[in-house]
Amino acid sequence: MSTDVADRTRRAQPGARKPPAPDPAINRNRPWLTEGRRRSLTGWGFLLPAALLILVMSFIPMFQAFVLSMKTGRGTNLEFAEPLWSNYARLLSDEVFKLTLQNTFIYLIIQVPLMLILALVLANLLNDPHLRWKGFWRTAIFLPCAVSLVSYSLVFRTMFANDGFVNDALLGIGLIDGPINWLGQPETARFVIILGLLWRWTGYNMVFYLAALQNIDQSSIEAARMDGANAWQTFWHVTVPQLKPMILLTAIISTNGTLQLFDESWALTRGGPAYSTMSMSHYLYEVSFLKNPNFGYAAAISFVILVLVAVLAFVQMKVGDKRD
Amino acid sequence: MIRRLRRLPGYVFLSVFALFSVFPLYFMVVSATNSSADVLDSRLLPGTQLLENFAKLFAEQDVVSAMVNSFLIAVGTTVLSLLLCSIAGYGFEVFHSRAKDAVLAILLLAMMIPFAATMIPLFELFANAGLVNSLIAVIVPTIATPFLILLFRQATRSFPHEIIEAARIDGVSEVGIFARIYMPTMRSTYAAAAVITFMTAWNNFLWPRVILINNDVQTMPLLISNLSAGYVTDYGVLMLAVLLASLPTMVIFLVLQRAFAAGITGAIK
Amino acid sequence: MNRNTMRRFVAVGVALPLALSLGACSSAGGDSAGGGDGDETLTVWAWDPAFNIFALEEAEKIYQQDHPDFKLEIVETAWDDLQPKLTTLAQSREYGELPDIFLMQNNAFQKNVLNYPDLFSEVSGDAVDFSEFPTSVAAYSTVDDVNYGVPFDSGTAITALRTDVLEQAGYTIDDFTDITWSQFITQGEDVLAKTGQPLLSGQAGSSDMIMMILQSAGASLFDEDGNPTIVDNDALLAAIDVYTQLVESGIFVEVNSWDEYIGTFVNGSVAGTINGTWIVGSITGAEDQAGLWAVTNLPKLEGVDGATNYSANGGSSWAISSNADVDLATDFLAATFAGSTELYDTILPTSGAVANWIPAGDSDVYAEPNAFFGGQAIFADVVKFGAEVPSNNTGAYYYEGRDAVSAAITQIMGGADPDEALAEAQANVEFAME
Repeated sequence: MSTDVADRTRRAQPGARKPPAPDPAINRNRPWLTEGRRRSLTGWGFLLPAALLILVMSFIPMFQAFVLSMKTGRGTNLEFAEPLWSNYARLLSDEVFKLTLQNTFIYLIIQVPLMLILALVLANLLNDPHLRWKGFWRTAIFLPCAVSLVSYSLVFRTMFANDGFVNDALLGIGLIDGPINWLGQPETARFVIILGLLWRWTGYNMVFYLAALQNIDQSSIEAARMDGANAWQTFWHVTVPQLKPMILLTAIISTNGTLQLFDESWALTRGGPAYSTMSMSHYLYEVSFLKNPNFGYAAAISFVILVLVAVLAFVQMKVGDKRD
Repeated sequence: MIRRLRRLPGYVFLSVFALFSVFPLYFMVVSATNSSADVLDSRLLPGTQLLENFAKLFAEQDVVSAMVNSFLIAVGTTVLSLLLCSIAGYGFEVFHSRAKDAVLAILLLAMMIPFAATMIPLFELFANAGLVNSLIAVIVPTIATPFLILLFRQATRSFPHEIIEAARIDGVSEVGIFARIYMPTMRSTYAAAAVITFMTAWNNFLWPRVILINNDVQTMPLLISNLSAGYVTDYGVLMLAVLLASLPTMVIFLVLQRAFAAGITGAIK
Repeated sequence: MNRNTMRRFVAVGVALPLALSLGACSSAGGDSAGGGDGDETLTVWAWDPAFNIFALEEAEKIYQQDHPDFKLEIVETAWDDLQPKLTTLAQSREYGELPDIFLMQNNAFQKNVLNYPDLFSEVSGDAVDFSEFPTSVAAYSTVDDVNYGVPFDSGTAITALRTDVLEQAGYTIDDFTDITWSQFITQGEDVLAKTGQPLLSGQAGSSDMIMMILQSAGASLFDEDGNPTIVDNDALLAAIDVYTQLVESGIFVEVNSWDEYIGTFVNGSVAGTINGTWIVGSITGAEDQAGLWAVTNLPKLEGVDGATNYSANGGSSWAISSNADVDLATDFLAATFAGSTELYDTILPTSGAVANWIPAGDSDVYAEPNAFFGGQAIFADVVKFGAEVPSNNTGAYYYEGRDAVSAAITQIMGGADPDEALAEAQANVEFAME
């Protein structure tokens, strides 16, 4: 909160009286456009441009995709399926789809909490007024997400090559006996993807927390310190609760991003080996563009992703968004 | 002294994470100065091929026009997106009502659908409007994002409602409150949103590559994709292109970072 | 950001859409493709400036000799971008945005023609003499006896080996010519023991090697009717057996990625490679190894009917779109890629683009010794190999089949039973075809 705002708040206080309670007797004679209605309409006016654009750019195509998900056929020879949900039924017997679903959830369960905790800890460290070289740390940790995907995938592939930097280093300190084929085995390949995601997105989330930390009340932290709370207690009992809206936001965004994960799966491993790192969105892309195009089926996959994200977001909101 | 020691684990943690973050970037910079064979050999020292790589890249590709296009797209998207989404986010929070909350919940659904699924209907839409190959067609689908609306709405929660009430009593119009009080106050949120939007727009790949059919409207990510599409890839040149493509986003971040820093300093005072 | 900047910010926000819409009008007015509008310009989509696009530019010059007003407008488009673009255009039926000509991977040709016939125009057999191309190559772009493409770049497979390493172990390139896989493995183990150098490398989880071995025996993953034949496929089992032996004996090094694969022979940790001719471009990137390489044919399978020493990997053909100035496009292709030795003579030494067009192989340029390959006339040899390559029935589901087999190989290399893994692969392909 800048001093500017604080001043204005203070100035506002003396005059901050509530509008008089409406008297039911005169209510009948009031014009249709009451203060409340006018304000509500203004509110709708604020929402309308963005909402309309989203309607046209997302919802109408989304509806078209839904209709598509009930059609079947290759290329442009699409006809309504019999029964209509047959593309969805098909998913249940698609071993590759099940594998991509499993992969995606492995990423989600391991990477998202790890990343958010790391980001929170980093942001809190950076918010320490006594920390030195603040700009340097912040810049270094955030920069990865400014890098385009090609370079990042190329760098990671080079680093995790058989005779690459990582194997050389591990061999050098004697942790392993022979080179590990990082991207050639399912488990290690998944590990590299998770590492890649952490590398690219931790700083991104950290920036959110930093921005949110600016808006929280610094004096509450000072007060807790004065009361003898240690750093951890202050962090957990004072800072985190105030960051709750932002933690909720980043959790939803990251869940959404992970369930729609495409870039890393595509650029780092091409989904291999043997589909063991392929994400659902990557599979959707394959079914649409790389294999014999089956857009009805692809649309069905996209709706499964949509429902999963929606359910998880709903759960997260219920857990985290109590207006108390 | 004890205070200092207590911070030591923090410094160690930051150092390890910063090294982890910066190393791949270092590799990218170094590789831009090396020959293709050296890059494949993961050489970690600066080389002497920078000028050759430069010459080759600029001879092969129209880097300048790709940079300009990427820039127009990223700036256009950022400006429009911030304006539109902050207005909406503000509206959702300040004029909060059940109906509007429901609308927001519905809008959020839009963020959850994979882009590949809506791409073909969108392409039809823009093709029918005669906008294939136009920068407008690249920008318009990405400016109203539920994500940014949500970001501004969440951020607005920490914006004191008393200020709004006071301004209303002082007779400031609703638009005036937004433009003259809210926007300047929320500058750190705007800065974060700008960095994020600019980066997303700059690196956007799938949609531009479908809707931009001519080469004179190519963007940097498309150019990079072309560089690695041949039978023989020159990795030094590729890394140089990637470095050039990454510079603007890094610069934007560094510039806007000051807006964050100012906000933080102001809060501590 | 103070209030002043904010005001400027808003001003830009208002001005920018205006400026952009003006820009949009001007670019929307531009002509995107030919469509028979009278002028002599053809739009082409292709990738790889050093190879395909270079060839196009040379073809343009040759055609301009008789057609001074002719012009090519080349749009560089990576294959990974070209396929989604075609799919999007076809799926939204916006054929008007198609170029006149586009390049297509041979392996993807059948799939695209069968799914989206409306993207293509027939290439008339009256204009292009398809008998002047190897049957195996023309077959990629032929569906129901109709030709939809002019073959360009040859995917003929070669074995390229480091002669200095062979020499160290007491071998010459002739010891690796016209041999079988078991001979190759015996000798390869010997070379590895004596020099410490493996002969081959490739991406783990990629089936390129298996597919090349398969095609060398005229076998494929599909029968004539397009049904998958992944189970009970003797050639496939033999190919997987060879591959397993290669990897287990250490002759074939599995690496993580394409970049790493190229790196293994460029930095000299591996003494050879087997791939399409186009790999020569990457081999010659290692300038310090000039004069140390030689090229020969592939080892062949034993005990499999139709086994040969010849195969292919990759390659591409020119397709004429449904939005094209068909007469001009056909004439251009017929006069250049299917009719000009001059063109192939120009592009061969610079880019290493080996012709599929048989008459080009008679040219002196192909017979010229190549210093990098110790004076061997490698391209004349490659053209000879090319004529021997058995047909490869890709079918529309080539990519599904290839990826399912790749997954099976990863499992087999991890210790799974080959029959079970292949049965699962077959089931997955059949599922995709439903």
